[in-house]
Order: sequence, then structure tokens, then C-alpha cells
Amino acid sequence: MKLLRACGTLMMLSFRRLLWSTSTLMVAFPLIGSGLFLLRRRYTYGDENSRYFDVYSAFTAFSEEFVLALFVSFLLPICALAYATMSIGGDREDRTLLFLLVRPLPRTLIVVSKLLATLPLVVGLVVGSFWVYCKLAGEVGAIAYPIYLPAVLYMTLAYVSLFHLFAVTFRHSTIVALAYSLFMEIFIGNMPGIVKRVTVTFFGKSMIFEMGAEHGLPEPDPEWFVPVTAPGAGQTLVAICIGALVLTLWVFSRREYRDLT
Amino acid sequence: MQLAFDNVTKLYGPVIGVNDISCRIGPGITGLFGANGAGKSTMMKLASGQLRPTSGRVTVGQRSAWSSAAKRTLGFSPEINSFYEEMTGRDFVYAMTRLYGYSAAEARERTEDALDEVGMRDRAERHIAGCSHGMRQRIKLAQALVHDPAVLLLDEPTSGIDPGGRKHIGDLLVGWASRGKTILISSHILAEVEHLADSILMIARGRIIASGTIAEVRELIEDQPFTVEVVAEPPRQMAAALVNLDVVQSVEIRGDVLTVRTRNPAQFYGQLSDLVIDGGYDVRRLAPLDSGADAVFGYLEQGAP
Repeated sequence: MKLLRACGTLMMLSFRRLLWSTSTLMVAFPLIGSGLFLLRRRYTYGDENSRYFDVYSAFTAFSEEFVLALFVSFLLPICALAYATMSIGGDREDRTLLFLLVRPLPRTLIVVSKLLATLPLVVGLVVGSFWVYCKLAGEVGAIAYPIYLPAVLYMTLAYVSLFHLFAVTFRHSTIVALAYSLFMEIFIGNMPGIVKRVTVTFFGKSMIFEMGAEHGLPEPDPEWFVPVTAPGAGQTLVAICIGALVLTLWVFSRREYRDLT
Repeated sequence: MQLAFDNVTKLYGPVIGVNDISCRIGPGITGLFGANGAGKSTMMKLASGQLRPTSGRVTVGQRSAWSSAAKRTLGFSPEINSFYEEMTGRDFVYAMTRLYGYSAAEARERTEDALDEVGMRDRAERHIAGCSHGMRQRIKLAQALVHDPAVLLLDEPTSGIDPGGRKHIGDLLVGWASRGKTILISSHILAEVEHLADSILMIARGRIIASGTIAEVRELIEDQPFTVEVVAEPPRQMAAALVNLDVVQSVEIRGDVLTVRTRNPAQFYGQLSDLVIDGGYDVRRLAPLDSGADAVFGYLEQGAP
């Protein structure tokens, strides 16, 4: 009972601190900017003011330009990175982690509590902003939201777990996670061939291509992107999530943080 | 409850933090002294379960200091001044108390008691970011003692606190010690805790070079030079007379102040009385310069392997 109360306290404490942290400000700008982009670039079809002839071309444009190029490649990792690395990494950088490590909370429960504080925030932000963007996009957004939501959720979980692992492993985890996102997810993730299969984005995009196909999203050029099946991609993302979590628990429960005092 | 180090060695890669340390600490107040890099911080981190020994064992009672069970009986006030700056002192101590699993009501009560004990109850509504160094020290102390631990580890607890506050905290520590608590205080300012500590541990180059009461440690260096300052008239004649004493090693004169070094203080004081009476010297001041822990540590550190 005492342990549960302590974990609940840590969860609430972490949630509040993350919500009112600079991370919120950091993600607010790109999220608002993307909303403005959507307002300007309208994905309507069928009338004389519209860019697109029919719903398929509008849906394809929304999926390719916004969902694939901007949302899952940039906004989603940024939201996950901003909170997941700061959850433990912020305490580490501020050296307040010391106050948690000398309490009678098993280290594994510290990680779990931190993760449970981060998840609702990141999932809420990612899913909430995706919902708003789809609303702004109009009819094509209404089609896209339910079919792309599983991919968005799986990717969010995978990124949150992965960036927690970074936070317990690296001293300046935000910088390392940024470098990872830029190099691995953007650079490697857009290279031809199968090397991109080491990235989270690849599996998220595979799910999106398969889900969007029945609404007219064309298959990607096989020279550049050979997707795996959506169930396979989903399972891989879950495996990444579980694997990263297990590694995070293992690292954090054994690691000595000598830089705290 | 005792804090025990059994043949503890801690390596940071090729660097030795502490080297084969064995000691039993508490109950009562124990002062831990050492220069920067001596291994003092490593000992505190090992005792508070932040580090694990490379070899040997650190235990609180019967439990490994690394275990979360041991941390329930342990309170730690770190030297660092990092907090959740956006919180008030009261909220911070309350949050730390809740992390022990207390209910909201009990945590609130314990928080108020702890803040009261450290003299912060009426100032705890201030945001930590706006607190003085002394107030921060008191908040750290409050969060360390809020769960009534059997073992308290205090790293520089009186640093930045005004003299009145130091006395208050000193009295507090003595009070806790009288209730059977084990208190380990690490400090640079030996004079501040020398009078509080029942025993002291002196550490240099990762090894304990002396332990026991200050008097016991002093006995370890009987063959070391002991310095006495004498202000007397006429200084030159008295210096000449002092140099002739067998027990005096050297005499320095600066104005009317004589600095006398001897290897045997007891004999020196006996011979000095005879000399003053026989010579009719006017002694205005006679003060040992290095009977304190600082000097003892200095001598021992020089001789440490």
C-alpha cells in the first residue's frame, strides 16, 4: 500500500512538472505552426476553389504531405522526445534525481512511475493534436483519423520507451535523442534499401501505407520503400516498446549516477 | 542502528575512490573529515546507497545500503543545492515525505513537524528559487529527517547557515543523537562539528587514517610537533631561554609573539612554568595553535600512505 502511494505521488509529481516544463513550450511552437500550415493549405476537393479533383487525390496529398512527411516524421518524435527524455533526464540534469534515489522506492518502480506519468501526456498530446489536424483538414481528415490512429499510437509508445532508455543511459539525453531523430529517423529512415528498417518511422509508415491504400494512397516506389505488412509493423513497434522498457529497467536498476553530487 | 563498512573498496575505472575501508558508525554523532578528493563523498554516496562498492559491503543495520529497504531507515541531506525550484519549501518536503508512502494527512503532519524542528515552519511558503542558502540547507535537513530515520547522513549540513542557526542545528543533532540515532556528518569546517561529534573519522587518499574521539586521535600523533603561541615580555630573552629547553624544537619570533614547537606538550608546559617563574617573564598569552582536529588531520594526512 505504501509503495503504491509512493508511486502514485511520484507519478503525479512527474506529470505536473512535465506539464509545466519548458518542454510544453518547446512542442507548442511546431504544433501551432503545423496547425497554421493546415489552415493555409486546404485539402478540399470538387469545387472551383479546391486544389484537388476528388477525395482520393486530396486524401493522398494529405497523407503524403502532412501525415507522412510532417506528422509522423517530425511532430510525433519531437513530442515524444520533449517529454520522455525530460521525465528522468530532467531530474538527472537538474540533479534532483538524487532525492528520488535515496527514497525507499525500488528503482524499477521509479522508472515505471516516470513512464506512467509521461505516457498520458505524450499520448494525449499526439492523439489530441492529430485529431485537431484531421478536423482542420476537413473530410479527408475525417477519413484519415481512424485509419492512421493505430500507427500513430504504436509509434508514440515505441518512441516514448526508446527515449526513456536514452534518458537513463545518457547524461544529455535530449541532445542524444535529437541527434538520433535527425540521423536515424530522418537520414537513415529516408535512405533507399533495407537499412531504414532499423528506424521506428519505417514501421509506422508501413502501417500507414497499408491502411491508406484502400482510400487511394498509392504504394511507395519500391526503389525507395518496401513496406512490411501492417500487423508485422505493429508487432515490431510493440517489440521495440517492450524491449526498450526492459532495457531501461535493467540499466536504471543497476546504474550508478555519479554526477548527481 | 549501525552503519557499517566492511573492507569496502570503490573504484571509478582506474581511480580509487575508497580503499579497503572498514568501520562501524554510530549510534551517536560521527564526524567525517577529509580534504577534497580524499574519499569523503564516495563514503557518503556508498552509505546513502547511490553507489555500490566494487568489493566489500556497506550495511545499514543488517541490510545492504543499496537496497530500498535500507533507505527507509536512512535520511540523507546532500551537499548540492538542487531542488524542484518551482515548489515552495513546504511542498517540496511534503512531496519527499509522500515518497515514503505516507498518507496525505500523515505526510502533512510530518512535514510540519520537520519544518518546525529545523526552524522553517513560518518561512516554508516561500518558493525555493527565492530561498537563501541557509534556508535551503534547512529544507534539505527537513526532508532528510521527516520520516524519523535511524541513520542520518548529513553532507555539510551547516554550510551557509548563520551562527544562531548553526547552534540551533547543533542542538538538534545532539538531541537526535541522545535518542539513539546514528548521525554521520561530513564537513570541511572541523571546528564546527568537532564539539558535536562523539567520534571522528579522518580520511585521506581513500583510506581511514584515524578514528575515535578527538582525544584518542590526538594520542596517535604524540610524536608530532605541537605548536604553542606565547606572548611575553621581554620576548627575545624568553625565546633564548625557551630554545635551551630539551623539549623545544624551535622558536620563531614575530614582534612580541613567540611560536614554539615541541614534541612533548605535557613536559613543555611543566618546564615552561618553571622557566616563567625563574626568569620573571610577563606572559600575557599562552595558546596552543594546533590542538584542534584541523591540526591533527594535517599531521595524519602528511603521514598517510
